[in-house]
Amino acid sequence: MLHLNKGASAALIVGLLSSTAAFADQRVLNYYADYDAIPLAAMEALIADFEAANPDIDVVLQNFDHEGYKTAIRNFLTTDAPDLANWYAGNRMAPFVESGQFMDVSDVWADNGLNESLGSALASMTIDGKQWGIPYTYYQWGIYYNKDAYAAVGAEVPTTWDEFVANCEKFAAAGIDCLTTGTSALWPGAGIFDYLDLRTNGYEYHMDLTSGKIAWTDEGVRNTFAEWAKVQPYITANHAAIDWQDAAALLVQGKAANYVMGNFAVGVFKQGGMTNDNLGFMPFPTINPDVARAEEAPTDTIHIPSGATNVEDAKTFLAFIASADAQTKLNAAIGQLPINSGSTVAADDPFISAGFELLSTTPGGIAQFFDRDAPAEMAKIGMEGFQEFMVLPENLDAILERLEAARQRIYN
Amino acid sequence: MFPRPIEKSSPAVRTLYKVALPVALLLWLFPLLGVALTSLRPASDLAMGNYFGIPSSIAFSNYADVFNNSPIGQYILNSFKVTIPTVIGTLVLSCMTGFALGIYRFRGNIIVFFLFVAGNFVPFQILMVPVRDLTYNLGLYNTTGGLALFHIAFQTGFCTLFMRNFIAALPRELIEAARVEGVAEWRIFWYIVLPLMRPAIAALSVLVFTFIWNDFFWATVLTTSASTQPVTAGLSSLNGQWIAAWHLVSAGSIVAALPPVLMFFLMQKHFIAGLTLGAVK
Repeated sequence: MLHLNKGASAALIVGLLSSTAAFADQRVLNYYADYDAIPLAAMEALIADFEAANPDIDVVLQNFDHEGYKTAIRNFLTTDAPDLANWYAGNRMAPFVESGQFMDVSDVWADNGLNESLGSALASMTIDGKQWGIPYTYYQWGIYYNKDAYAAVGAEVPTTWDEFVANCEKFAAAGIDCLTTGTSALWPGAGIFDYLDLRTNGYEYHMDLTSGKIAWTDEGVRNTFAEWAKVQPYITANHAAIDWQDAAALLVQGKAANYVMGNFAVGVFKQGGMTNDNLGFMPFPTINPDVARAEEAPTDTIHIPSGATNVEDAKTFLAFIASADAQTKLNAAIGQLPINSGSTVAADDPFISAGFELLSTTPGGIAQFFDRDAPAEMAKIGMEGFQEFMVLPENLDAILERLEAARQRIYN
Repeated sequence: MFPRPIEKSSPAVRTLYKVALPVALLLWLFPLLGVALTSLRPASDLAMGNYFGIPSSIAFSNYADVFNNSPIGQYILNSFKVTIPTVIGTLVLSCMTGFALGIYRFRGNIIVFFLFVAGNFVPFQILMVPVRDLTYNLGLYNTTGGLALFHIAFQTGFCTLFMRNFIAALPRELIEAARVEGVAEWRIFWYIVLPLMRPAIAALSVLVFTFIWNDFFWATVLTTSASTQPVTAGLSSLNGQWIAAWHLVSAGSIVAALPPVLMFFLMQKHFIAGLTLGAVK
């Protein structure tokens, strides 16, 4: 290490001397991540398996909270880089790839036949023809709804957007928020936008928009916002002030009927007392029947930072995480979907089976998520715009002009 | 004398005082009570939206979970490793700078003193990037020592202001009498001034201890790993990728708040003395 001072190296030597007695020649693999409680336990179980198979490697996992991690990663990648770090697929990893902070792991893909077994995620992990990390899980987005609330107002589960909007009037009459969300951390609002845009304009258009090829003042974007305006009055009024978990509580209490969310929310709904009997899941309803159905399924990934000190063992670990068995075990524990085509999913969980069915039959394409498909800066400005629109829809023109100005600045 | 004892005011004022005090107290303590209550709530209450109602059950297990799910013992140890050297370092330095600036009349005395004071008016957030780079280049990034060094440097300014004013208020005759007797300058510092500074040292050590223990900003900027992060920065790791475990964070905060609270009760007298020490001059 370049920057060790004398005191630190002395401490290190003492540390090494004292630890050799306990663990003969163990190599440490530092792993930084931002897991929730359940995935953390699942990953620790998986790490225990890995350590049992590789007794000479000691994986030290350090967990962060998500918002803190997003900031910390910029810091630790350039200073005290770990050997492994969690991040996300698609455009979200591009800044780190382009600035040379993630290591090329194409050899791990090639040596383990991952180009076939992880084929569904190959495109989202590839930049400049190389792969930059290993995907280990993904999960569907859609609408989670309270079946009791539907029963209380006598509404049918909709399949088209018009039916959905019509239901909203029934919910409003009963004092129930038709659609809830909590945008204090911004990203939940992007889920609604993504689906409205995918259903109105389709996958290709949405991808062109997030990659900066289409103007935000385009007619198609306006059509998307026109659909959004139809439900805007029925969205939880104080959504900008609450967190997504607070909005989840509204759905649990029956004060809200529908929630556009990712499958990780199921754990919170169930913790609040909902069961498979009163928690429902439906794909986002059809808006334009001529558009092929596309879905949103963010992929979570593990990378090797360029500053990693134990690259050899890090690659061994990535190969292990990519294997069908490891992905089956991990995803069964966390209630999400494995990437590896040789893995199996838990058939007794209705949400997992629904997600698997939904994603494996998607004709249109699978988007990552607005803040992963668009560059970080555009994503932030965009999500602020979505939040503002849901509070003050009359500002639409100003919002779109601001996003367009940002697009011209950011993508050039 | 100010403040006048409340018994001497009119009955109406006294009644108002008796009513307003509990109200103000409750208002003041409301967020803290919320944290305390949340720390005893089961996770299901939060998922159901029961934030301020009666907890459905008392979950002391949250406290056990904090110790099981996070290395909070290590975090607290790190906090001590940062706080104690900082308290000692700043006090040693500021006693000496305070003595020099308070006793000796040399050219530039006022300018040096103003430099110390002016440092206090720099909003420390603007130092974030240079300090991070400096610590990194010194090889002290992500070490408790680096964090403590920065705190010593930054707290010394405030402590010097405090100490210098305290020493300047001491009777000069004491020092002059000692000089007449031929006592060496360092012995004057050690045997005459330092014993008189005991109340200031006690008050400052309590103040600096609480400042540094509660520091969150520099802890997050200068440390990244569990082996070096103080408890204020480490606690947020109880939250995960999407799900915030506020019941655990609350329980952890209460545990983390215990050392400064304990310190306050042990040294309460000095703490209040410290807050008013410079004020009457």
